[in-house]
Amino acid sequence: MRSNTVGWLMLAPTIAILGIFGIIPFIYVLYVAFHQWNPFGASSEMIYNGANNFRRLVFDAEFLTSVAFTMKFAFFAVLSEIALGYLLAQLFMREFPGRGFFRTIHTLPLIVAPIVVGSVWRLMTTPSIGIIPYLLRSWFGYDLNIGRDATTAFALTVIMDIWHWTPLVTLTLLAALLALPKEPFEQAQIDGANRRQIFWHVTLPMIRPAILATVFIRLMDALRTVDEVWMLTSGGPGAATRYVGLHIWKIVFPKTDYGYGAAISVIVLYLTLVMCWLLYVALVARRERKRTF
Amino acid sequence: MPARADFWSDAGAKYKGVVLHGVTESTPPSNYIKDVLAPEFEKKTGIKVQIETTSWDQMYDKAIKDMEAKTGIYDMVYIEQDIIYAYLARNFLVDISKSLKDDPSLKAPEFDETHFTTFANYFKNAGGDLFGIPMEAFIKVYLYRTDLFNDPKVKDAFKKETGKDLAPAKTHEEYTQIAEFFTKYGKDNGMELWGTTAQAHTGHPASWYEFFESIAPTYGVYNWGIDAANNYAASVENGGQMNSDKAKAAMKYWLHLRDIAPPESAASTWTEVATTFAAGRVAQGLVYGENAAWIASDAEKSKVVGNVGVALPPTEPNVLKEVEAGKGYLGYYDGGAFGLPVTSKNNEAALLFLQFIGQDSVQADWAIAAPRITNTATYDDPKVIDMDKKLNGYYTMLKDQGKLFAGAPPFPFHAQVREATAPIFYKILLGEVGPDEGLDQMAAAAEAELKNLGYRK
Repeated sequence: MRSNTVGWLMLAPTIAILGIFGIIPFIYVLYVAFHQWNPFGASSEMIYNGANNFRRLVFDAEFLTSVAFTMKFAFFAVLSEIALGYLLAQLFMREFPGRGFFRTIHTLPLIVAPIVVGSVWRLMTTPSIGIIPYLLRSWFGYDLNIGRDATTAFALTVIMDIWHWTPLVTLTLLAALLALPKEPFEQAQIDGANRRQIFWHVTLPMIRPAILATVFIRLMDALRTVDEVWMLTSGGPGAATRYVGLHIWKIVFPKTDYGYGAAISVIVLYLTLVMCWLLYVALVARRERKRTF
Repeated sequence: MPARADFWSDAGAKYKGVVLHGVTESTPPSNYIKDVLAPEFEKKTGIKVQIETTSWDQMYDKAIKDMEAKTGIYDMVYIEQDIIYAYLARNFLVDISKSLKDDPSLKAPEFDETHFTTFANYFKNAGGDLFGIPMEAFIKVYLYRTDLFNDPKVKDAFKKETGKDLAPAKTHEEYTQIAEFFTKYGKDNGMELWGTTAQAHTGHPASWYEFFESIAPTYGVYNWGIDAANNYAASVENGGQMNSDKAKAAMKYWLHLRDIAPPESAASTWTEVATTFAAGRVAQGLVYGENAAWIASDAEKSKVVGNVGVALPPTEPNVLKEVEAGKGYLGYYDGGAFGLPVTSKNNEAALLFLQFIGQDSVQADWAIAAPRITNTATYDDPKVIDMDKKLNGYYTMLKDQGKLFAGAPPFPFHAQVREATAPIFYKILLGEVGPDEGLDQMAAAAEAELKNLGYRK
């Protein structure tokens, strides 16, 4: 009984912080989501409108498009980051001259603020002054203009995200790889397994928890990306990079449609949870279930 | 009370140690407040002023959040001319005239509301009380390269190609012809030169503003094509002008210009248009006047120093007459003021600072650093007269022809209607929807949003 009290006391600050900064605002957002509230409308009153905001978003083509683009963005970005991060982690496991230096350089993007990353990439991709369009034109005769080409704008947001966040994946997987025991690998080699078999049957299962945790973190980040993309493309051209975070920002701030913005936020949170759960079921729970049978 | 040097030190003594916080857009006039006026004020009064200069979007975001949530972080907020109606509707701002009347001890002897130009009227309520101290006031003008327009070789080539003498355009037809000529001239001669600027970002509202505030009016489409007196009608069927034939012609004209403008135009906002001109990449363009001074005089930033001509924007033949008769406007009279949020915790000290930046005595140097004029006396200052020559008469144009320009319409729903229509506008820019069809959709979207907001019955 006494240990319980001490435990609760130790947890109290965390619970208080979570309550004040997490739960209370969430309840408020939920409350607002069931109201029509535009402080800059003819009436600035908050009017209860039931589930109308949620009904509205089902038929909102802009919202649905932004969700689709976000999914596409998250898929390409996270998948590439995991693959590239793993390869780099493997590379950094090996001994080579300057390994420490390259490890440090590699992690530098992580300490750059997203808004700065977006600004720098914008500078690098501006047609008249950017180094990337200059090189592409000089080398391949290709005119890069993300203001006009939706596909390249989308691709650049993905590449920018990969550049920024792959080091996080590398660090996580490097830590996981370094912590692996040597015996299973030696055993597999003795049994005659080749490198591909060792990867699929020894390495991957052992670092699966680390990969899964990284995927969850990166997926959640990718689904709520705003600042980098805002600086690079402002959501354009058209709506090609108007990812759902940007869409919410535009609904809530310039458009000041607080009720509808809150409803979208709640739905996006729900979608994120569902996606993570599906991923968990697909990668972990099913495997656990198989093991128990 | 010990004797002090002047009003500022006496008035400031009471608030010594107070730190005022202001948020504004990072523009030349705002940077001058941050770098020059705020330190001067601190020196005179002991009141510290911290000015946060940020992007246009962030500035609105932060100011509105602060005033809406009543957190009281900011003591001064930048009020762009087009948002003032929304802020007044929400009672966000302190009535400066009334506050100074209620407490005469705060009134600086050098500060006088009647010294402001008529631009200050945009920051007054129906009763004539002032809610913001004007700090920026400039027109969006037609800039052209005098070195190119006066070059005999270029003039000959233009004459040969068009049969006309090269001179700043007065009509859209002339402007298009000059733009096409220079774009071709640049290409033929291997130069990084194009015929016109275009503020045509495909995802940022700057392009929306260029169309509705700078292009559509020159075709006779005013107030974004929305008729407030007619139940906020936007579509032609209901009495609006947003999808009128004039608006459609304006859109096609502008899209053509965009297509022969430098490649960065598709990602250009108001800032990039100025830097494109300053880099000598265009022969002519519509540029916000706040940038005219550094483009024309700052050799560190501009490659066209001493070669910048200023003219009125080109119009349809009948529009200038219409505007001169007071029936419309031919371009944007842009600017803003510094307002005092009712949520500020340092109202009185902030009132002192606002008066400090509103005095005649600080205006001339400010007008030279950033070409904005808010006080009538500034025009007659010798330093400003001298600068006017360098700017080829920009200040004279502001003084004499500023009346032909207008600020944003007095709508309290600017951002809302803009955001409702902008996605369609971007589709037009990308060619995903035709200009005629797109404007029809935009008019319908504007009316739907106005209905949703409760303005349209």
